[in-house]
Amino acid sequence: MTPALRVSDLRKVYRSGTVAVDGLSLTVEEGDFFGFLGPNGAGKSTTIHCITGIATITSGSIEVFGVDAVKDYREARRLVGLSPQEFNVDVFATPVQIVDWMGGYFGIRKPERKLRIAELMERFELTDHLKKPFRALSGGLKRRVILARALINKPKLLILDEPTAGVDVELRLDLWRYLGELNRDGTTILLTTHYLEEVERLCRNIAIVNKGKIVRQGPKAEFLAGDGLEAAYLGATGAKPDHVAAGAA
Amino acid sequence: MSSVAVKLPVKMIINWVGLWTIIRREIQRLLRVPIQAFLAPWISALMFIFIFGYVVGSRIATIGGHRYLEFVLPGILMMNIVNAAFLQATSQVYFQRFMKYVEEALVAPLSYAEMIIGTLAAVVFRSISTAFGILVIAAVFGGVKVVSIPEFIFWVLVVSLIFGLLGMAIGLWAKNFEQLTVLNIFFITPLSFVGGVFNTVSMLPPWLKWLAWGNPFFYFINGLRHSMIGFNEAPEPLGIVLSLTFLVILSAGVWRLFAIGYGLRE
Repeated sequence: MTPALRVSDLRKVYRSGTVAVDGLSLTVEEGDFFGFLGPNGAGKSTTIHCITGIATITSGSIEVFGVDAVKDYREARRLVGLSPQEFNVDVFATPVQIVDWMGGYFGIRKPERKLRIAELMERFELTDHLKKPFRALSGGLKRRVILARALINKPKLLILDEPTAGVDVELRLDLWRYLGELNRDGTTILLTTHYLEEVERLCRNIAIVNKGKIVRQGPKAEFLAGDGLEAAYLGATGAKPDHVAAGAA
Repeated sequence: MSSVAVKLPVKMIINWVGLWTIIRREIQRLLRVPIQAFLAPWISALMFIFIFGYVVGSRIATIGGHRYLEFVLPGILMMNIVNAAFLQATSQVYFQRFMKYVEEALVAPLSYAEMIIGTLAAVVFRSISTAFGILVIAAVFGGVKVVSIPEFIFWVLVVSLIFGLLGMAIGLWAKNFEQLTVLNIFFITPLSFVGGVFNTVSMLPPWLKWLAWGNPFFYFINGLRHSMIGFNEAPEPLGIVLSLTFLVILSAGVWRLFAIGYGLRE
């Protein structure tokens, strides 16, 4: 079966000379819920930016459901939805406008777009905030708008870059439930997060990236065996929690 | 679970819905700032037309058989078309980059051509709206004449596109708001003023005449003036060839910037 995502020997060097991704290879099978972990600055967001076209790649290749994401980028983009870490929106626009424009960019015609927007607004409980500018929304509501925007095209591959950062417990639990439903319905999900609990609960496979390279990859069960995910994560990234470091000293 | 079926167009050659979305989105953004986008140039043009065309103009003898108001109107119109096109393109591109919502277009199945054409369509919309408003104002003072409508449309469109493309390049290059204004302050405003907005080239001191002939604004203003009142100071084909050459070079340049992701992609 063609994987949902295949990243081969990806390298990204910024104009400043910073090597953000250094020969990273990754395969996400169709239907998977994949955790993509790593410390800040490890290269997670850059990898996602390369997959989605926000960043150009220096070398390597990216395929989305077998479609070359660089050469046949338009076809590849149609299959992907992205919820980025940062709020990259026109902050003066309303939630409906933001989602509507995105739907338009994807070529979705107005009647379908209208129905889909109504569905997403209801799903993310945004119906009381339809006419408010994005900048006037709370952090949690902003995150919901970003998620609704990522889902307007019903993507086959949904990429979530820290989707629950700064949201309250209630929304987090609701989101987990929703993501589980989406995944059961066939959407492949790539999730980056710093909440290991989220990964434990949702993901089936995990990759840990550090300094632009994959340092460990495998099924969740392998990570949970032994001292658990946190220990596996710290071991793979070479980091030490404060109390361990203090004890060692 | 969601029930709405979303049909994405299969293998798009042109993403028409996407292209229209770029245009209507920008028009919606413009309509959020109508004073800045439309009223400001109309009021400024009103002042120019009233003071230079009507008050001062009534004391000036005809130029080439035309009232001064009729002579000066194409220059005022061209100055505002240039400004509208340039400001629209720079603000559209730069704000998208500054607020990062350019990423919405980058992650969508939009081609470079659709992004460029969509931006230019919004530029033309703003230029034409600005020009139309100024013509209405000038009509109140009885100064509107158009002897060749096709030629008039040609100059409005070509100049809008030239400065739209130039504005896009600046919008991609600028790292801050200060840099957005550099070209306008040091190039567009001075050259448009010495390009024959208020006077003929023959009125200039001899040492400044060479500057007029080497000034692209002179050909733009002259072309528009010729289309409106039939007054001409330069060979018309020269202006047309020069303008189309600018258009082709700038189109190729902006296309290249988009293709390499300059200022757009990390």
